[in-house]
Amino acid sequence: MNMRLSKLFLHLSGLLLLAVATACSTHSKPEISLVPDVLLATEDEQMLWQKSEQEQRAFESNGLIYTNTELEDYLNQVVANLKSEDAPADLIIRVKVIKNPYLNAFAYPNGMIYIHSGLLARMDNEAQLAAVLAHEMTHCIRRHALQAFRKYRNQPAFLIAIQQTLLKSKGLQALAHSMGVTGAMAAISGYARELEAEADLVGYEWAVQAGYNPKEVLSLFDQMLSDIAQVGHEEPFFFGSHPKIRQRAENLQKSPMPANIDIRATHKRSELFLAKLDTLLLDNARLDIRLGRFQIARGGVDKYLRIKPDDTRAYFLLGEIHRQRGHNNDAKKALSYYSRAITLDPSYAAPHKAIGLIHYKKGQRALAKKFFESCLQLSPDSSDQAYIRGYLKQCTLSEEG
Amino acid sequence: MEKKLWFSLFIIIASCLACTHTAGLSKPASYEFMVDIPEGWRKIDNNRYLLVTRENPFQQYILVQNRPIGKSFRHTKKKMQKAMLPEEAAQVVIDELISDQNLLNLRVLKNTPEIIKGFDGFKILYTYQDAEGHTYQTLYYGFIKEDTFFNLRFTASDRFHFQRDIEAFRHMLNSFEIIKAEAT
Repeated sequence: MNMRLSKLFLHLSGLLLLAVATACSTHSKPEISLVPDVLLATEDEQMLWQKSEQEQRAFESNGLIYTNTELEDYLNQVVANLKSEDAPADLIIRVKVIKNPYLNAFAYPNGMIYIHSGLLARMDNEAQLAAVLAHEMTHCIRRHALQAFRKYRNQPAFLIAIQQTLLKSKGLQALAHSMGVTGAMAAISGYARELEAEADLVGYEWAVQAGYNPKEVLSLFDQMLSDIAQVGHEEPFFFGSHPKIRQRAENLQKSPMPANIDIRATHKRSELFLAKLDTLLLDNARLDIRLGRFQIARGGVDKYLRIKPDDTRAYFLLGEIHRQRGHNNDAKKALSYYSRAITLDPSYAAPHKAIGLIHYKKGQRALAKKFFESCLQLSPDSSDQAYIRGYLKQCTLSEEG
Repeated sequence: MEKKLWFSLFIIIASCLACTHTAGLSKPASYEFMVDIPEGWRKIDNNRYLLVTRENPFQQYILVQNRPIGKSFRHTKKKMQKAMLPEEAAQVVIDELISDQNLLNLRVLKNTPEIIKGFDGFKILYTYQDAEGHTYQTLYYGFIKEDTFFNLRFTASDRFHFQRDIEAFRHMLNSFEIIKAEAT
């Protein structure tokens, strides 16, 4: 076990010890009801909120937050439209986006919801977004973290369950450490099955009652299953776990449609949703390209081109996907996309260099030289100029030779 | 993360055994290289890389590695390829670093071509923080020769250790020699 993970478990153990201590001092604290009354009336809930705020401060200082005020406003507006009558008046639900290409969303008990750019990029419309946000809101409003805390305070099995989940994925251990105990439980292991089922069901009802198309809500699960199959292995997070997604989809399909819903009057708001995502689709595609998940990256870029069909950066990224993947015929396709990017914006330096690289590697040094020179002319101070000057030098030597 | 595991093991072993200063030439059979470890530095070697430190790995360490180009990285699915240009190899390293959520607030300060012992390679300078908020700076050299990606990196916990120990790293870099690869 590594040191960071040990520290996380130390935190978890601390939390459990605190739970035990709280239990001893208050004797028989009643379980919270499904419709809780006063927020923060108990010591343990106050402690959970304080812990959440500490973890969020640390988490957000790590450069993980995707900053886009317009998108955040939009997400918060969707939440406002979903707000349930159950919600305590002083519970403020807010949403932020995390720069992370994996499928996930999670909520802290104090109402802070984080959604990964990867999950947003894989959605098609606002109805699917509403379903995820309503699910997370349910965790906050029904105070699932507090319920879990009280239920498991005397059960070391809880610690073991989280430990086993974390040990499944090396990448997850770091994130778990970064987001803290409360976040790790919400984001990675998920809550107990009955609480997740409640969040699915209640979230589904809220989304449908807010006017979203129930079929779209359910289609999100199909989409996630298809994405998991495409990646070829499960992602580490709760929303990327195949059996969990399958089970949840089946549970929801069995659930009755909320009363008084005229399905013809429901909406999904695809265009508005995609317009609001805007450059997140490209930014997330870049993260997938870094991970070498070229097919998923392609999906994000294609989606972006549906809203901005003449965007030069999108065509450049399509070129990058093919050039970096390097399958048969990919170089030819990459050249075609880079050329399209240059046609759309001749002053955009990046595709000039990329075309130069393809010719350079093929030994077509004269052609390569032309594109490297145009790249340097367009962007003389670029951070990669030392490489480009090196290529130009080799091209010149080839000419002389 | 695995590095940290090795660091932890290293500290435990170091505290159990008498301190063993191992300056001098290092060429275990499993490595395809030979380097001169500076006086006062201690090493922990294994099948995967050579790691040396002056005080402890949380203050500074130098890591030297020969890595088969087809070997997967921990985060990115991209792999090194024989025909890659140094810039492309550097990009794979950067993609791996950026995809690693252990490395918080990662900033690549410099990425330039570099001749390393006669081979076309790259040099990357970057900073990052760990989950405890400690800042580290790393100087990373790498190049591909045939089926192997060779890399040498120096990481220090702060400016003082970086400035003080960079000369030791340069000494190791200058002493670096490929051995097994030349025989094949």
